[in-house]
This record gives sequence, structure tokens and C-alpha cells, in this order.
Amino acid sequence: MKRKLIFVTAIMVAIPLYAQADAVSELQAKYQTQSAGPFSAKAGEALWNKKFIDARSGKERNCTVCHTTDLTKAGKHVRTGKVIEPLAPSANPKRLANVEKIEKWFVRNCKWTLGRACSAQEKGDVLAFLKNL
Amino acid sequence: MLTRTKEPRVDKACRVKVWDVPVRLFHWILVSCFITAWLTLDNRYLDIHVFAGYVMGGLIVFRILWGIVGDSYARFRDFAFGWREAWNYMTMVLKRWPTRYLGHNPAGSWAIYLLLGLGLLITITGLLGMGGEERQGPLAGLLNYPQGESVIYLHEVLSWVMLGTVAVHLTGVATESILHRENLVGSMITGYKKAAQGTISAPPRRLVGTLMLVVIVAAGFSWFYGYLIETPEQPYRPFTGRQLPDNALWREECGACHLAFHPSLLPVRSWKAMMEDQSSHFDEDLFLEQEAIDKIETFLAENAAEQALTEAAWKINRNIPKTETPLRITETQYWIDKHKQISDEIWRDPKVNDNVNCAACHLDAEAGTFEDAAMRIPAGAGKSSTGIIKGIYEKITCIFSFNSSPSSIFTNKS
Ligand code: HEC
Ligand code: HEC
Ligand code: HEC
Repeated sequence: MKRKLIFVTAIMVAIPLYAQADAVSELQAKYQTQSAGPFSAKAGEALWNKKFIDARSGKERNCTVCHTTDLTKAGKHVRTGKVIEPLAPSANPKRLANVEKIEKWFVRNCKWTLGRACSAQEKGDVLAFLKNL
Repeated sequence: MLTRTKEPRVDKACRVKVWDVPVRLFHWILVSCFITAWLTLDNRYLDIHVFAGYVMGGLIVFRILWGIVGDSYARFRDFAFGWREAWNYMTMVLKRWPTRYLGHNPAGSWAIYLLLGLGLLITITGLLGMGGEERQGPLAGLLNYPQGESVIYLHEVLSWVMLGTVAVHLTGVATESILHRENLVGSMITGYKKAAQGTISAPPRRLVGTLMLVVIVAAGFSWFYGYLIETPEQPYRPFTGRQLPDNALWREECGACHLAFHPSLLPVRSWKAMMEDQSSHFDEDLFLEQEAIDKIETFLAENAAEQALTEAAWKINRNIPKTETPLRITETQYWIDKHKQISDEIWRDPKVNDNVNCAACHLDAEAGTFEDAAMRIPAGAGKSSTGIIKGIYEKITCIFSFNSSPSSIFTNKS
């Protein structure tokens, strides 16, 4: 009986983890078909912290201005002040679980932060960095 | 007549109880309500203002009953003077030798009837206006917004007339106190007046007085109870608006970067323009799929400002010229007028961050209702404190500076 319970709980815990790993690997596989890879968490982290200068305002922008450097903590949208829930899957299991959602935010956030779309390589690297946090 | 003594000076005097406990309590609590109501014109203190109004209305109804069933000096019968008597009394005052009345004198009685009537009308117009403009209170929704606004205007005019009547009443009290060398204010506190030997005292009626106090304190306790149990995470909201239409897709897509601004805050044409241009949304590419765009746009259009779902919606829409299509709520005239008193320090404070962070100050921003008295500037934001004392001070300076509209209880007229 007890074993059965442990087994059931283990599965219940594993499903969301599996789903998340699934969304990330699904995306990474897709990026690989666009001749990117292999992906490195180090390169992802470097991109995460890299500063870009916005051409129009001349101000520095990077991923941390909204998400902060500690991804297990909540961030704050730099333009609107709205709280952004933590990005690290360990702190927020809802993260990196939905392929379309991730892609949508890559489009939005890369365009605003880098001033251009991110390459498949960059996106794969960032996911490699984020998924293990 | 027992209650009127003709001799102006009372030589062999004794102290007589003239004002019973209910009359004195009525008088001073009414005074407090009147002052409180004037000091709480700011929307943020609407709950206090409304409470003062309820107590005032209740007291006046009580006083009218007491004037019928009460004893001797408290009865209307004791001071039911005609115009002629009041006029005669005034001419006697001018000749500096008015008859002394132990109860209310004829001129004073007229002031009292006027104050009671005005107080009652003010309470009624307040209730009607709140029901129309705020959709709150027992008469919520009885009037529509424009009617509510007119009634509130009447409410303000009546309040000024009552303030004038209070001034006349005070002048009368001062004059009579001087002419008769007696302290009428003191009498209203202690209940005693000097009178000829043998004059009958009014019974004190302590029980009725105690009952009045108990009722008022209990009402106050239940009215303000929310403040006692509030926490910083869940601040108390004295007024909650009715539930506005909601939509999961809209909340998800339009509530990620900022508050999901309720559709009622902009007109249909603004939302249409915004959704058309969603790939360059204030320097952001929303990258929404056409299906999502259509669904969100339908929801936005169905509940836009034109529908007047809230007071704010009605006023925002009214003030936008038909030729303009604002893309920002913060650029509409109504929003600008409502927020112009907020200093730059507060806007820049990290707790506020920006003017689009409505939820920093409006506790009901998520719900979209933007109720009066649901706004709190975050504690310690900016340099200026916005405590009630400061608010009251600002209102007083506002009342006495004639260049600004003095008494917009529910609205800045714009
Ligand atoms: C202007 C503020 C801002 C900046 C800068 C920003 N983001 Fe975001 N990001 C957001 C918001 C807002 C969300 C959505 C949060 C939510 O769903 O609660 C988000 C979501 C995401 C998600 C989706 C997470 C999920 O729920 O699956 C990813 C991935 C992401 N951001 C990556 C990045 C990267 C990489 C950068 C730097 C290139 C970046 N962000 C820069 C505001 C920003
Ligand atoms: C990717 C992030 C993002 C998303 C998603 C988003 N917005 Fe915005 N929105 C912004 C930014 C940034 C601003 C400008 C804030 C500023 O300038 O202070 C803004 C401003 C606005 C304003 C003007 C606020 C004002 O009064 O100043 C409105 C209205 C608005 N957005 C509506 C929407 C609607 C409707 C949606 C959903 C279709 C939406 N937004 C989705 C980022 C976003
Ligand atoms: C710094 C705090 C602060 C922020 C941020 C803020 N407001 Fe306000 N707002 C106030 C205050 C204070 C008042 C009351 C002004 C008055 O009563 O004269 C007010 C009044 C209003 C009213 C009128 C309410 C009524 O019925 O009288 C509306 C509507 C409103 N705000 C909407 C908004 C919206 C929408 C936003 C975000 C785009 C916003 N506010 C952001 C402080 C703020």
C-alpha cells in the first residue's frame, strides 16, 4: 500500500517535470533542424547577462532588467513596474512548459532587448541555461 | 407657560436642567458629523464621509421623533414659533433687549428647523448621488450617472447653504449669550440654565442617550471593522464595485507585461487601433496570432468605455473629443485631471515605478472598478506623506482658496 502511494506521488511529481523537459527539448530539437547546436548553458548565461545598447534611446538593455540576476526570485517589468514571477523552473514549475509561450516571449523579449530576433543557437543556449536553474 | 420667563435678569436664580441628554448628544454628534463630512471631501476618505452622513441622517430622524415624543423643552411644540414671532424677536435683539426664553428662542428655532431640513436633504441627496455616481449604497443604480452627478451638485450647494446657516446660528448664539450674559454653549454641554425658582427641570433621559451612543458606536464598529483586520498584503477596501466582465485569454495576453487594463478604460476606436497595430505596441511586438487578436478585440469592444460599466468609464469617454483616438489611458483628460496632484517624487518612487502601474495605488485595479476610497499611495512613496491629517489640511486650504473648485465630493468636475 505504502509503496503504491510512493509510486503514485512519484509519477505525479514527475509529470510536470517531464512536460517541461519536453517543451525545452522539443524546441531545442526544432532549433537543431535549423542547423543550430550543440547548446551550451555557459553561452546561454553569457547572453543572459550581456548588455545591449538600444539604438534609439542609447540606454543599456539586457534580460536581467526585467528578470533580475537571481532567477529564483520574482522580477519586475522595467517599463511598467509589474511583478514578473520567477523564471527558474525550480522556483516556478509553470515555467518553460509550453512551446508556444516560450517562442512568443523569445520574439517579444529578444526584439526589445537585443533590437533584433534571437538566432536559433542563442535561443537553444538560453534554454539550456534556464532549464537547470 | 412654564418654559418662558419674561424677566430678562434672573435674580433669585436656581439651576434648571433644560437640555436632556439625548438633545445634547444629538447636538454635539451632529456638529462632529458636519465637521467630519466637510473634512473628508477627498475621495480617499469617502467611507468616512459616508459614515458621517449616515450618522447625521439617523440623528436628524431621531431628533424629529424626539421633537414629537420627547419632553418639555425638546418638543417642537415648545418652540413652534411663527415668522412674526421670529421677526419680533429679531427687532428686539436689534434694540438690545430681547425677551429671554429658557428653551429655544423664536429666531433660534427657525435656524434649527432650517438646519434639520437641510441636513435631511443633504443626507438624501448624498444617498441618491452615491447610488447614481458610485453605484454604491442602498439606492445603488436608482439614478444613472448624469442624474447622479446633478444630484451630487445639489448636495454640494445644500452643504454650502447649511454651512451659511450654521454661521448664522453661531452668530445668534454669540449675540444672545452676550445680551443675556449667559453661556449658551456651556448650557448645551451641561444641560443647565439659570431660571426663576420653581421652574421645572427636564428629565435627563439618560437611558435614551445611552442607547443613542450604543447604536452609533456599534454602527461605527461594523462600518470600519475591515480596518482592524486588514494586513499589508490584503488592505481593506471599504467599497467593492460590482463584478465586471472578464475574459481568460485577454487577461493572459494583456496582463503579462502590465496590469490587464480593463476594456472600460478606453473607447472602442482606441482598442481597435491598438489591436490593429499590435506588432508595434508601445515599442513592443506582441506577436499575437490573428485568432487571438480577433477574440481579444471582440472582448475589448464589447466592454469599452462607451458601455459605461463604471463611473470612470463614463467620465473617460465623455471627456475624449470624438475626433481623437487615444492609445493611452494615461493621456485621457479625465485620467490627467484625476492624477495631477500626485508629485513627481511619487511617480518615480520604486514602489510606483510608473504611471501605468495602476495597481500600486488602486487596490481594485485588477478588477477594473477603480472605486473611490480604494486608492492608497504606497506608504513612504515620495517625500510627501499622504496621511489623513495631510489630506485634511490640503482640503482645508482648498476650501479656503477660491480659485479652485472647493467641494467636489465625488468628482473633480472636468
Ligand atoms: C521588458 C521586460 C523583459 C525583458 C527585458 C526580458 N523579458 Fe523575458 N519575460 C518578460 C515577461 C513580462 C514575461 C512573461 C511573464 C509571465 O508569463 O508571467 C517574460 C517571459 C519570458 C520567458 C517565458 C517563460 C515561460 O513562462 O515559459 C522567457 C523564456 C524569457 N522571458 C526570456 C527572456 C530573455 C532570454 C530575455 C533577454 C533576451 C528576456 N526574457 C528579457 C519580460 C521581459
Ligand atoms: C510584451 C509586453 C506587453 C504586452 C503583452 C502587452 N502590452 Fe500593453 N504595453 C506594454 C508597454 C511596454 C507599454 C508602455 C508602458 C509605458 O510606456 O509606461 C504598454 C502600454 C499599454 C497601454 C497604455 C497604458 C497607458 O495608459 O499609458 C495600453 C492601453 C495597453 N498597453 C494595452 C494592452 C493590451 C490590450 C494588450 C493585450 C492585447 C497589451 N497591452 C499587451 C507592453 C505590453
Ligand atoms: C501614484 C498612485 C496612482 C497610480 C499609479 C494611479 N493612480 Fe489613479 N488615482 C490615484 C489617486 C490618489 C486618485 C484620487 C484622485 C482624486 O480623488 O482626486 C486616483 C483616481 C483615479 C480614478 C478616479 C476614481 C474616482 O472615481 O474618483 C481613476 C479612474 C484612476 N485613478 C485610474 C487609474 C488608472 C487606470 C491608472 C493606471 C493607468 C492609475 N489610476 C494609476 C493614484 C494613482
